[in-house]
Parts: sequence; C-alpha cells; structure tokens
Amino acid sequence: MESTSDRFLLNASEALRDTPRAQRRDVMAAFTPLIRNAAVEGFAAFEATRQHVKRVRQHSLDNLAFYLGQFEHEAVQNGMRVHFARDAGEMNSTVLDICQQHGARRVAKGKSMVTEETGLNDFLQDAGLTVRETDLGEYIIQEAGETPSHIVGPALHKSADEIRDLFLQKHDLGERELAATGDMVDEARQVLRRQFLDAEVGIIGSNALIAENGYSMLVTNEGNGDLCANLPPVLVICTTIDRVLPRAEDAAAMLRLLVRSATGQAQTCYTSYYSGPRRAQDPDGPLETHIVLLDNGRSDILEGDYREMLECIRCGACLNHCPIYSSVGGHAYGWVYPGPMGSVLTPLLTSLEASAALPNACTACGRCAEVCPADIPLPDLLRDLRAQESEQRIDAARWRLGLRMHAWLARQPRLYRALTSLAMTLLHRLGHRRGAFRRLPLASGWTGQRDFPVPQGKTFMQRYRQRQREH
Amino acid sequence: MSTSARTDIFARLRHAAGSAGEDVLARRDELGHAPPPALPAEDLAEAFLCNVLRNRGSIDTAADRSAAVKAVGRYVYQHYRSQRLVAGNDPRLAAMPWRDAGVLPRFGALESGEAVALSFARLGVAELGAAVTWTGKGNPAVNNLLPEHHIVLVDVDDLVATMEDAWQRMADAMREQGRPRGVNFIAGPSSTADIEGQLVYGAHGPRHWHVILLGETAPDTGQRARERAAGS
Ligand code: SF4
Repeated sequence: MESTSDRFLLNASEALRDTPRAQRRDVMAAFTPLIRNAAVEGFAAFEATRQHVKRVRQHSLDNLAFYLGQFEHEAVQNGMRVHFARDAGEMNSTVLDICQQHGARRVAKGKSMVTEETGLNDFLQDAGLTVRETDLGEYIIQEAGETPSHIVGPALHKSADEIRDLFLQKHDLGERELAATGDMVDEARQVLRRQFLDAEVGIIGSNALIAENGYSMLVTNEGNGDLCANLPPVLVICTTIDRVLPRAEDAAAMLRLLVRSATGQAQTCYTSYYSGPRRAQDPDGPLETHIVLLDNGRSDILEGDYREMLECIRCGACLNHCPIYSSVGGHAYGWVYPGPMGSVLTPLLTSLEASAALPNACTACGRCAEVCPADIPLPDLLRDLRAQESEQRIDAARWRLGLRMHAWLARQPRLYRALTSLAMTLLHRLGHRRGAFRRLPLASGWTGQRDFPVPQGKTFMQRYRQRQREH
Repeated sequence: MSTSARTDIFARLRHAAGSAGEDVLARRDELGHAPPPALPAEDLAEAFLCNVLRNRGSIDTAADRSAAVKAVGRYVYQHYRSQRLVAGNDPRLAAMPWRDAGVLPRFGALESGEAVALSFARLGVAELGAAVTWTGKGNPAVNNLLPEHHIVLVDVDDLVATMEDAWQRMADAMREQGRPRGVNFIAGPSSTADIEGQLVYGAHGPRHWHVILLGETAPDTGQRARERAAGS
C-alpha cells in the first residue's frame, strides 16, 4: 500500500473538518473502551496471562530462527508448501505464481493486514485476476474503493447510511431498500456466497503460527475466513515470520487476551487451525495449500531497539483508547497500521523520514500502554523514535510540520482539545532547541486567526475521565 | 528465488537472535503454563452450557441417545416443520437410534438448499462455550459453515475445562489418527459488527447454533446454566 504518512497533519486536518465522521469517532471512542474494560474485568487472570504471554513472546523472538524452522518442518509434514518472502514484491509475486499455475481467475480473500501492507490486491488485479474481499468490513471498503481505517473493523468510519447508498448504487436490488443493518448484512451474504463458490484460490491471514504442530490459527466472527480456507481448491495463507509461537497452549493463552482486547467478547465465533490439504479420505477442503512467510523489515526490527513491537498481536485496543486516533481517524495516518501501534510500526517498516509526524502524534496520556495486551510500552517507543528524529536531524521537516500543525490547530477547536499536549511539547522543544520560542511566527499566526479557540478549562485527560464516568 | 529468500531470512534471524541450541525446548518448558481461567460454575456441564448461552447459542440436554435424537427431531420440526437434515459420516451419528425420533439425516456434505446440519463434536470446551470439530469425512467443513441452523451434539464425557486440556486430548488423538486438515472451535452463530459496530447474527455462516449435551448430568443442569447466563 502506498503511504501518505508524510501528509499526516494535512490528512488529520481534513478528517477533522468532516463533522459527521468526527462525531461517529467520538461515539466509538466512548463505546469501545467500555466493552473492552467489561471483558477484561470479567477475566480475573488477565494481568497474569498478559505477563505469561509476554515471556512466551520474548522467548519465541529470542529463538525465532529455531521456531520458524520447527514450524516449517511441521507444516511441510502436514502437506503445506512453505514459501519465504523478503519483501512485499516477493510475497506478491509468489502468490501470483501460485494463482497462475492453477489458471486461477477469481480469488476470495479473508481479512489480512499483511496483504494490505504488500498491496497484494492491486498486484493481482493488475495481472488480470478478480480479487474479492469477503470480510464484511473489507468488502464494504473494497466496493467503495477505500482503505481500512482500523485493523479490526476496517469500515467503521462509514455510517450505515453511506453503506446503504453504496449497496444501492453497486448492486441490483430491485425493490429492496435495505432499511435495517441486518438487511445489508444479508445482501452482502448473498453476493459473497456466490464468490466463495466461484473462487479458485482462497487467501487468508493468520493470527498465530504454532511451531510444535504446524497449524496456522485464524480468529474470526463472520466465518468468511473459514469459507476462504475450505471452499476454493487452492488455499494461500499470507502472514509474517514474527507470528510464530512455540506451542498450541501459547496460542490459547494469547487468544484469551486477543478476543477481549479486540472486540470485548470472551470468545469469538470461529477459532480455526489449518495445516495442509484435504487428507486421503476427506470429502472436501483445498487440494493444495501454501503459506507465504513475509519478512519485510521484521528481521531488522528484531535486531534493533524496537523489538518489543514484534510482540503486537494486532488487537486494535491501542487505537480504540488513543485520543489522537479517536480524533483524526485511521486514514490520517496514511498507511496500513494507524493509531499508536501504527505510529511505531510505520516508521520502522517504511521510513522515519517519510512518517516523521507519526511519533509526534502522541499526547503521552499512556492509555495505549495501559491496555495493550502485549504490554508494549508504546509511549516509550514513540519517545525513542522522536529522539531518533532529533539525532538524525529530521528537524527541518519537523520545523515545517510544527508550523503547519499550528496553522490548522488554530482553526480547529476539536483538534485543540485532543492535541494540546502534543503541540505544546513540540513548540516547547522547538523553542528550547532554537532559543527562539518568542520569535516564532506563531504570534502572527494567532492574531491572524481571530477564531483561535479559548482553551478549555480542563485537560484532555480530565475530560476523558469525566466522560467515562458519565457513561 | 524462494530458496534464497529462505536462506537469507534464516541468516538474518540467526544474526539478530543467536541461540539455536538444543536447550531452546528446555527453556520453553520452563516458561510453564498460563494461569487457568475461571469457569462460571464448578460443574463442568453447567459451566459449558452457560458459556454456550453467553455466545448466543441455544441449549438442550439429553440423558441418552434416544433422548438426543428426539431433541434433534424436535428442533428441526420446530423451525422447518420438516425432518430434513444433513450430518457427516461420523460412526457415532450413524449408530444413533434415529427411528426413535422419526428422523434420518442424509449423511454427507451439506448441499445448497439444505438448511440444517448436525455435527457430533470431538470436544466441548467449558472455558469458551465452544464445540470442537475436525474437518474430514466425519464432519465436512461446509456442515459447520453453510447451514442456516447448525446443531452440535456434545458428549458430557468429551467436556474439558480449558483450551490447554483440549489441545492435550487432541495431541493424543493426533498421534493415533494423524493431524486433520482443520480443527474448528465453534462458539456461537456467525456474527459481524462491521456496520457501525452493531452486532448482527448470520454474517456468512449459520444464523442459529444449537448445542445438545448428551449424557448423564446433574438434574436441572440446563436450567441452572440458563439462570446463571441470564444473571451475567
Ligand atoms: S500494540 Fe498492543 S494494543 Fe496495539 S494492536 Fe498491538 S497488541 Fe493491540
């Protein structure tokens, strides 16, 4: 996927002007932490499990070559064909080769952020294949020609009305109006059933790879990923090398954290483990199964100071609890991974230079680290990235960004509410470094913009807590 | 290309994180196990059924196999005023006294137009309120995924408390029977919250999920599970 992370501030500014969407984000920001908290409170062993899983993850990363080798061996025993890909291009062409070997024209896909990262859909479509996303959220944004705004709920930025209009425009619905949400889900169900049956290749992602038995774990609520894994004659699993866990019980422990943190459920509807093609007596299932294991920068991260980021289980909790994400939405971040986890990952997987604003998109409120089931110290990693920016003198850019940020800040009361701390830190640092705080052309910016918002009496965190109490 | 990508990646990983020693597995075992999750009830059957209900499944209990087929027949008749259903070629299902209920499943994989499928679970996991099936002749994957109503029989003797217990039992079975292509933990009817976060049932898979617990349980286990689930 192409990155527009270098335009974070402009993207954010545009996002804030879209009032209905900003209001929906407010609702989500109030709602999602509540259901996550309820789920975690209902699971007394959460903290102990979090610490256990952290030790397991550290152990797996410390011995990644060993466990990846063990996984490969077991998966091959089960009949999987295992491929490795150094970068996005290698993953995409490996998948295309598999499709072409089978003369495939139609691909049904389950949700996979990794293939968003590599831009697989466009690559396959450019080669003449039809690629159909089958997760409802992914299907909606594919129909709309958009990118995901959230790693768990990719279409949560769209209102039911927008989705209804989209379906009315794209589908031949006759008299049907799709009045209720259920009607829209039904419509997608009907359309997609045919796609599953027609597809020659199914592509899914993976939530974990189990070294001891070679299975790949898939966690969903809809069942679309399982249809992709079971109906088409060829299955391709696309994932990254850092997903490996030693034992099935480790995947189980991780799952307990993942579902509660991601959707506030105690358990998702479908948790499936797949490895290999249909067995001798089996009446159904794919005849050939492949797994493509992507590096794309992970081995670099493993070697560096940000290794802990590889322990991320992609639950999305840090997005849901982040005041910046809640204010500007996922698209502003400009790449696949938004929110706090994205602000760490994007610079590491693309370049710090091109995404210099992201590590600064942090109020240091600490909510993300508090809720992160992988116990990743996200604010610390963001601070380290900022320090690195200053060491590498990615300063001119920051200077410009600081000014641009202030320009839109001055016009956006919503933004002000969320970003005060960020802007102040940045300005303070600029002023401090340059000794020029008083001479910054900010004063003219302020006076030029008469509608500079009167500062709210309370800090963001005070307001946030108050809102939590009110609900 | 693939070989060199493989060699390259492994070389980088060894460089980044050295140890490839034999003691890796010993250190793995030193990690111990995750703390066991608390169950909603002391009685395993009650805890399992309570969690099935929390997952928006419906429940029934049957003391013996005759009662179980009657429960299946009742459920199908209630919803479709017919006796039609499909079930995998599981010997345990074939041996059920179907005549007692006046229903006889068609044995095989679900075909289009068929609305009800019956599976016999390998395991029930109390912690999750989930039924576990393996892909294959005994339970074609489409039988889990494509019916409107999915009925699952779970034998009380196959109930386990946790996922760890489930994997332990399955590892034993896999050593004897080989690993299946797929292991499915099913916990509720298919659902989605992708439109404005509103939960809707029947996304791609079944709209209704019905679990029948087969075997001797304490009296009123179902009722107590219902009360417990309603209270939470
Ligand atoms: S960083 Fe933590 S909270 Fe954020 S997605 Fe990853 S695991 Fe979840």
